Amino acid sequence: MIFAAPWVLLALAALPLLWWLLRVTPPAPRRESFPAVRLLLGLTSVAETPARTPWWLLLLRMLAAGLVIVGIARPLLDAGPGLPGSGPVLLVIDDGWASAADWARRMQAADAVLDRAERDSRPVALLTTALPEDGGPIRATATLPVSDLRPLVAALRPKPWPVDRAAAARALAGAAGSAVYLADGLSDGPAYADFARALAAHGPLTDLRAPVAGAMLLLPPRAEADALVLRVAHPVREFDETAAVLAQSGDGRTLTRVAITLPAGSAIAEVPLRLPMELRNRLATLRLEGQGSAGSVILLDEQWRRRPVGIAAGDAASAQTPLTGQAFYLKRALEPYTEVREGELDALLARDVSVLVLADRVVPDGPERDKLAAWVEHGGLLVRFAGPEVAGHPDGLLPVKLLEGDRQLGGAMSWGQPATLAPFPPGSPFAGLTVPADVRVTQQVLAEPGTHLAGQTWAKLSDGTPLVTASARGAGRIVLFHVTANADWSDLPLSGLFVDMLRRLVALSAGVAGESASAAALSPAATLDGFGALVPPPSAATPIAPGEFAAALPGPRHPPGLYGPENGRRALNLGGHAPLPEATLPLAGAVQESLADSVPEQPIGPWLIALALALLAADLLLSLRLRGLLRPAGAALLALALLAAPARAQETEQNPALLTRLAFVVTGDEQMDSVSRMGLAGLSEYVNRRTAAQLGDPAPVTPGTDDLSFYPLLYWPVSADAQPLSGAAVAALNQFMSHGGVILIDTRGGGSGEGFAPGAAEALPELTRGLAIPPLAPLTPQHVLARAFYLLQDFPGRYTGDTVWVGRDQDRANDSVSPVIIGAHDWAAAWAVDANGRNPFATIPGGARQRVMAYRFGVNLVMYALTGNYKGDQVHVPSLLERLGQ
Amino acid sequence: MSQSLRRAESLGAHLPPLLVAAERVAATVAGGVHGRRRVGQGDSFWQYRPFYPGDPATRIDWRVSARSDRTYLRETEWEAAQTVCLWRDSGPAMRWRSAGAPDAKADRAGLILLALAALLLRSGERVRLLAQQGRAVSGKAGLERLAESLDRLPDDADGLPPQAEIPRHASVVLIGDFLSPLAGIQARIAALAATPASGTLLQVLDPAEAVLPYEGRVRFEGVGRSDTALIPRVESVRGAYAERLAAQQHGLAAICTAVGWSFAVHRTDHPPESALLSLYTSLMPEPRRR
Repeated sequence: MIFAAPWVLLALAALPLLWWLLRVTPPAPRRESFPAVRLLLGLTSVAETPARTPWWLLLLRMLAAGLVIVGIARPLLDAGPGLPGSGPVLLVIDDGWASAADWARRMQAADAVLDRAERDSRPVALLTTALPEDGGPIRATATLPVSDLRPLVAALRPKPWPVDRAAAARALAGAAGSAVYLADGLSDGPAYADFARALAAHGPLTDLRAPVAGAMLLLPPRAEADALVLRVAHPVREFDETAAVLAQSGDGRTLTRVAITLPAGSAIAEVPLRLPMELRNRLATLRLEGQGSAGSVILLDEQWRRRPVGIAAGDAASAQTPLTGQAFYLKRALEPYTEVREGELDALLARDVSVLVLADRVVPDGPERDKLAAWVEHGGLLVRFAGPEVAGHPDGLLPVKLLEGDRQLGGAMSWGQPATLAPFPPGSPFAGLTVPADVRVTQQVLAEPGTHLAGQTWAKLSDGTPLVTASARGAGRIVLFHVTANADWSDLPLSGLFVDMLRRLVALSAGVAGESASAAALSPAATLDGFGALVPPPSAATPIAPGEFAAALPGPRHPPGLYGPENGRRALNLGGHAPLPEATLPLAGAVQESLADSVPEQPIGPWLIALALALLAADLLLSLRLRGLLRPAGAALLALALLAAPARAQETEQNPALLTRLAFVVTGDEQMDSVSRMGLAGLSEYVNRRTAAQLGDPAPVTPGTDDLSFYPLLYWPVSADAQPLSGAAVAALNQFMSHGGVILIDTRGGGSGEGFAPGAAEALPELTRGLAIPPLAPLTPQHVLARAFYLLQDFPGRYTGDTVWVGRDQDRANDSVSPVIIGAHDWAAAWAVDANGRNPFATIPGGARQRVMAYRFGVNLVMYALTGNYKGDQVHVPSLLERLGQ
Repeated sequence: MSQSLRRAESLGAHLPPLLVAAERVAATVAGGVHGRRRVGQGDSFWQYRPFYPGDPATRIDWRVSARSDRTYLRETEWEAAQTVCLWRDSGPAMRWRSAGAPDAKADRAGLILLALAALLLRSGERVRLLAQQGRAVSGKAGLERLAESLDRLPDDADGLPPQAEIPRHASVVLIGDFLSPLAGIQARIAALAATPASGTLLQVLDPAEAVLPYEGRVRFEGVGRSDTALIPRVESVRGAYAERLAAQQHGLAAICTAVGWSFAVHRTDHPPESALLSLYTSLMPEPRRR
């Protein structure tokens, strides 16, 4: 603790004088009203001994006076040491994207530096190392008194682009004096050495940085056949760390959350994001959870979603013939989820297509072929199907060299049997797809055997001959199906596998951006601010010409964000353009300080003066008491009023018996429990708004530990790694069910959410072993649960389409109320409402109606749990009315 | 008010009905249920006496006379009521109460007054307040009317009984703290006694007024007047104060004795029954007056 104004402490010397003065002055007499005062009137002549103030009252007053003096001397706690050197101080702040994650702490540290400079009355100049938002050059401010500089520092915001070390080094050159460097800990390009030299040359230096550089940069994902590979770049460090990436839709709702481990010693971590194609097309933003910087956001434009497929058939005349035409099956398989274009090769190549499918179409040498080859080289995905034409005249645009002619398997003139498909090899994009047993291949073209053939084979028959081969050409790929695209040569186009294979192939292709037919410049539509939020573009942002977009670097003129018209948005991301985060060593020769230790200094003077005022107030009360003007009862009342506040706070402790509340089973997975809590809170609020039921905040319960008898409904999310229940928990749940409680078990991955929670459904039997679960039947719209409040036809949650199971209606035990409801629709995520009152999780396949229906199911569920089979009689109302009518 | 009434009635319930000594009854005679233990006008049977010549024949009780050879007259007991005028001081000083006292002086005085009135009314006396528009009441219902008019009475600013017209030979009961100068009190009592009227003076004191329990440096302020007295050490003047209070009480007693009235002192921390009893005895006819 130090004193900012120590000379005030001299006033403490005057305290003895105050003591003497207080002792000399007698206390004021007590005042008493007295009717018989007439009898007292003459009695004042008795010798008066001087009245004395009691010593403890004197001490109290001296203490108050002493506290005031010490308080005015401005004592400071946690004050840092003085800055090295003398004269003006240069405060250098890294305000690039990497500073945003812990910006508040940086500002606190900057404040602390300003405090220290102010204490020594040293003027300060400010230099920020990222280019300013107005597009001006990097330049230090004039040297200003701290009070004038504070607003400038307070107005600083992290920039959504990297710092410019070279420009900062130039700005540093020539000046001299002591400096404080608030570092982001990253080199941000090769010019860091120059910058460090310039700083060292400037004068006595204080280096203020976080112990571990924490900035993480999300790189643009890589598209693979069945997944989007998310990549996170981070400074190399000695320990593993975890992060999470949120995949969000255009309205900011989370589609899914992927945890990612950042391994020690590596700079880039990768994790696959597997999403169904419909969802992948809704993906708009990838966001590193908890980072909050422009580098932690990847905006996905149309390029990630739109993959037009062009189909050209060799025999254009019969290609469209239903059930026999080459293009017919392709179109049927691709149309539901992609944009399909048909036409001649020239016309298709003139437009943007991601995938070109040639069904038995030979491309002869010539300009057309050159054009096609160039298109593949630039990243196009060429998918070819064999056929009589290709078998007869193989051209150069094939992944493998084909043997002349084709091969018949089975048939009247053959001893062999039609071949089946072998399981897909692990490296193939089709890996993981199940092979139906009934797909037969009767005819195929054969590849010339070679050493590379195995590596180029993505699918093969059970006898080992390749069915699908592929090879890379430049940035693109050529894929050959060794069979026709119609059912002539194989059953493959008739099976569901064909659709899945085509889907994966399309997912593998590079997307194309919107129709960039017009050469108009792409003007910024919405840009990221330093904290990674999409905001209207700043005034300095300028449009980018379409041709230069790929080469555009994020900066003040082109902040990262979305550019272009509504129907052709292009995303400019920091990831991929900014230098990879690379930690730097603390500057040699500088005073090292840690950002973590830099707490703002705390003046305690005001508190001391407040304490002195409190003492003086007590003194006033005591003086009044001494003069008889304050009754002890009044004083007791005052004290009671002061003590009453904490007493009231204790009364609000929640008693589960006083309020109806929904409960969820604590799983131990923090993410899952918070979703359960948000979900039940959202449902409770909905129920309170729509029905007469009044529900309180949801309660987390642990079966076997907590008393379950207060809760009508228990929500139990099940994950694949759920631990089996203890005996006490099983007993508690059985007791709960047998006494009218309802448990909603949610495996959170059925219907449209297939694949989101793999293994949960399999874990369920193990988990519920020992629970007295009655025989179950699918939930139908005739069930009481479907008409307990709303009349429901289906029962969606976040997902929809899976069967929901309830106890059989004939079961007369427990008044036909099913004690358990089992489903996989992840209802809590659909009901969830976050702190801002928004629904944080997107419904899948989506739409506001699905969410409304999910809430309605929730209301029905609560009503079912609260009223049992009360509405069961309503089921019979039509027949009763009918009978009455007769 | 009804509560104080109940309390006053229960206070006097233990005493027999009070028969006010009426020395000079002829002037103040008024019909009442209160037998005088002698023959006279009234409703209650007193005695049969033989008929003497000169008695009006209408007074012969024929039924009794028919039982014997002699003729009897039926005589009734003489029933007459005495008027008692009550007053209690209701000035601001009377409403003062020290920290340890159970009641304010005015409350205690009112209680004693109503209890006395209840006793008197029970025995059929006529009771009125000593005030300008005082009306005598009698009977059981009179107590409520009395209590109401007691509440409506204006404050006495000077702490002295008002100069009101009272019936001659009435009894007067004055209750107050009588801490004002003796000369004023003497003038009022002399005026009342000259009516003529007999009477009693009851001084009601707060315990703090009686013993001056304060300590230390105290500024005393008068109640209802602007006198103040700064006493540096109250404990040192306690003796002198007690002397002055005793002198005041002696003076009051002397004033009362001079006109044949009685005087009593009551402290509010003492039970009101004692004060009521002393009033009772002072109002009761002495044996020689019977």
